Amino acid sequence: MDIIACIKRVPQTAEADVKIDSSGKDIVKDRLQFDMNESDTYALEEAILLKEKFSGSLTVISVGTFDAEDTLRIALAKGADNAIRIKAEDFGELDGYKTAQLLKAVIKDLKHDAIFTGCIATDDYYSQVGVTLAELLGMPHASLVTKIEIDGNTVHAYRELEGGLLEHLAMSLPALFTIQTGINEPRYASLIAIRRAAKKEIKVIGKEEINAEDIVSFSSLEKLFTPPVGERAEILSGTLDEIGTRVQGIVKEKGLL
Amino acid sequence: MRGIININPEIRDAILESGGDDAIKCYSCGRCMAACPWNLIDDLDYTTYRFCQRIKLGAIVDSEAKEDIAADTDEVFRCIGCDSCRHECPRGVNLSDVLRAVRRILVDYDSYPAELKGVISRLYSSGNPLGESSAKRADWAKDLGIPHFDGTQEFVYFPCCLPAYDARLKLVAEATASLLTKAGISFGIIGEEEFCCGEAVRRVGAEKVFQSAVNNNTRVFQKFNVKNVITTSPHCFKTFQTDYPAFSDIQIMHVVQVLHQCLADGKLKPERPFKKKVVYHDPCTLGRQMGIYDQPRELLQSIPELNLVEVPVFNREFSVCCGAGAMGLWRDWPQDQRLVKIRTEQIFATGADVLCVACPYCLQMFEENFKSMNVDIEVMDISEILFSSLGQ
Ligand code: SF4
Ligand code: SF4
Repeated sequence: MDIIACIKRVPQTAEADVKIDSSGKDIVKDRLQFDMNESDTYALEEAILLKEKFSGSLTVISVGTFDAEDTLRIALAKGADNAIRIKAEDFGELDGYKTAQLLKAVIKDLKHDAIFTGCIATDDYYSQVGVTLAELLGMPHASLVTKIEIDGNTVHAYRELEGGLLEHLAMSLPALFTIQTGINEPRYASLIAIRRAAKKEIKVIGKEEINAEDIVSFSSLEKLFTPPVGERAEILSGTLDEIGTRVQGIVKEKGLL
Repeated sequence: MRGIININPEIRDAILESGGDDAIKCYSCGRCMAACPWNLIDDLDYTTYRFCQRIKLGAIVDSEAKEDIAADTDEVFRCIGCDSCRHECPRGVNLSDVLRAVRRILVDYDSYPAELKGVISRLYSSGNPLGESSAKRADWAKDLGIPHFDGTQEFVYFPCCLPAYDARLKLVAEATASLLTKAGISFGIIGEEEFCCGEAVRRVGAEKVFQSAVNNNTRVFQKFNVKNVITTSPHCFKTFQTDYPAFSDIQIMHVVQVLHQCLADGKLKPERPFKKKVVYHDPCTLGRQMGIYDQPRELLQSIPELNLVEVPVFNREFSVCCGAGAMGLWRDWPQDQRLVKIRTEQIFATGADVLCVACPYCLQMFEENFKSMNVDIEVMDISEILFSSLGQ
């Protein structure tokens, strides 16, 4: 089985002190750690598990600048066979639609029975790339997948819906899956695989191979800003004790308890 | 039982190059395993004596099977750097440094315990493991009238991240600053521009993040022309001395050394009785690693009516780690695999009313664990006990 996993290198912002930079269109990144996007680590693991079960090849692809090669190497160390970087620097500002077109331009010429992506990226939270890519390739797809089983030619994909409901889809391959966190337990890399990965060549594809004129954006970023405090929001300040007492007071005043 | 292994010189060389060359000295005598506190836990075999041999053969974290890699990686990240093994090792092998070399390679490949990711990322972005804003780093000192260090004071007091931000540990920084003031020591704080010393982050192998801490603190200390530093944490104390090349001409002192000197000079006079049975826990970094055992005990013995007791056998160089080192404070080990429980039982058996510590990590670890185990022993930093014994 030939499998493709699409991964993205993102800054870890969940617990960081995030500031908007002087361009007003990006955040200050020089004090941020970068990692593989969280749901992509689960997508990659799902792809590795499938490859281990059915044998075949696993190719990882990332649209990113040079640093993304570190992330691709991590994927190689964990079990991917080949890695491709699409040079983000060649294609200007990217939205999910444009990223999906770039991926399509490369993937259409690769053998693929299954494609895995994360369900959402923790930098822009667009959640567009996987599903747009499936449409561009004309493939059946399932988003936000929490379990996959393969039975002959049929793939059973399970998706979490609101209210604790599970949706069960029976699909045929080739298909694309956007993977939810928690579906599996992403693995560590072994030192043997790390040494191997360190020496592997990463294929780099840029504007020489992909005609940039055909690739267009759907949206452009105007400005980044922190949400203004809404009229009904009240920001509490003070010591932990003071804030606690105030919250207790508010809960009582509003009759919430 | 593993089958016949394949020698992998490439893995061996990579580990030796990343700082694991002490492994070469080991001859598998196994004394380290007997000394390692993890082996005080029932049903846990931490076979420390095998690490160096496996490294020399390049046969560590070398399996291709997911479960084996996970088990091996967990072993590599279990060591909390207490140095009990090093103290016993006939060849002086620094096992925690050897394991750190393995960790460095794994961390670069995102192969380390998930619970450490948030702490490392917080430390890198905000300069402290709690993710607090650097603008608030001097808030603990706001009402104490402590000046910002400007070169006219003799010492910089470096409180460590936990005492700078944590509500309970701020009391330790306050007591220390008050003691120093009473003793007439001239000191200031750096506050906002300080960065975590990075000792713990280095131990887990996140070397790039550690280097950013070194660069930041070096720049700031040089800017203010700092010559003398007092630390509350043994971890800052040790790291500034051993891992900051640019600090070689700066005098770094742990607070117990300074207070001990003040006592000898008659600048501090503990007069008020402290009528309690107190047991002193030697922090690994202050005791085994920096050799400071007597000064804290002499400080406590100078306090009227304080009854100082020892944990039998497991005291001084045989003290058992609380488990907080090398970011152990942030690890999620199962309840039945926690070093702090072992140490708590030893402390409880002394019948002490108060546990005296001289390290912010120990304080936090014990206090949290005493609460969860319903142990009615008060945890106090040595500076808090000393401060409460001063006359008006
Ligand atoms: S005590 Fe030292 S020489 Fe003996 S097995 Fe342990 S590390 Fe090796
Ligand atoms: S440093 Fe402590 S925890 Fe680590 S191996 Fe040695 S004795 Fe065990």
